[in-house]
Amino acid sequence: MENTDASSPERKLQCSDVGKCFQLLERILDGELVEGGNEMLQEKLDQCQPCFAHFHLEQAIREVLKTKCTKQPLPDKLAESIRQMIQDAR
Amino acid sequence: MSEVQRRKYSQEERSVVFDGEFMPHIDSMYNFAFRLTFDEDDAKDLVQDTYMKAFRFINSFEQGTNAKAWLFRILKNSFINDYRKKSKKPATVDYQEVETFYNSDDVDYQSTSDLRAESVKDMLGDEISNALNGLAVDFRTVIILADLEGFTYEEMAKILDIPIGTVRSRLHRARNLLKDTLKGYAQSMGYGRDEEED
Repeated sequence: MENTDASSPERKLQCSDVGKCFQLLERILDGELVEGGNEMLQEKLDQCQPCFAHFHLEQAIREVLKTKCTKQPLPDKLAESIRQMIQDAR
Repeated sequence: MSEVQRRKYSQEERSVVFDGEFMPHIDSMYNFAFRLTFDEDDAKDLVQDTYMKAFRFINSFEQGTNAKAWLFRILKNSFINDYRKKSKKPATVDYQEVETFYNSDDVDYQSTSDLRAESVKDMLGDEISNALNGLAVDFRTVIILADLEGFTYEEMAKILDIPIGTVRSRLHRARNLLKDTLKGYAQSMGYGRDEEED
C-alpha cells in the first residue's frame, strides 16, 4: 500500500457503510478479487479511516496466523512410518 | 470431487504421485490434524489414516490437479467420520444463528473496532494459537484453511462440501470471534492504544 500513515487528515472518520465495506476489504485480503477491487481498495484506504484501520487489522491477523500457527513440529518418523505402511500395502 | 476412477496408475506412477504430490504436504496436514484434535497421537493417526486412504484411492486423483486440497478433504472427512464420532463432546454450531448474525447489522464491528493492528503484531505465538484453538471446530477449520494454508473460497467449498456463500459467512463470523478473543488478550496484557512495546 502506498499510504501507510496511521492517520491522515484526508480520511473521513466515519464510514457510511461499515458492514459492506469491511466485507469487501476482507474478500480482497482473501485474494477473492472483485471487479475493480484494487481501485476500490485504494480509494477506501485513502479516504476512510475506519476502512484503513480495519484493513490493517485484518492484514495483521492474517500475518500472525500464518507465521505463528503453522509451525507444529512433525513427529519424528511420521513420514517414514507412512512410507513403510504404503510399502507394506503394495 | 468425484470418486470416478479416471485412469489406473502403474505401480511406478503411483509412487511418483504419492512421493511427488502427496508427501510434500505432510507438514500442513499434520498441523491441520493437530489443530483439529489437540492431541499428538490422534493427529498422527489421522494423518496416517489420510495417507493410507489417499494411496488406496489414488486412481481417483487426477495428476496435476490440486493435491493439497484433495488430501485436506480426505483428512477432514476422516476427522468427521472416524475421530469426531468417537469424541464425547461433538462441537456443533447453529448455522442458522450464524447466518442471521451475519446478515443482521454491524454489531460485530463495534465490538472489535478498538483492536489495533499494532497490538496484534505484538502478540506472542501462544496467544494467537490459543485464540485460534478456542474457536469451535467449524470456525477453527475455515481459519486454518484460509489463513494458515491459503486455500481459496472455492477450494474450501470443495474441501468442506458447503456452498461458497457459506464459506464466506462462516469465515467472516470466525474472524470476528477470533478478534473478540484477541481484543480480550490485548486489554488484559495492557496494550494501550498508543503504547510502543520494546
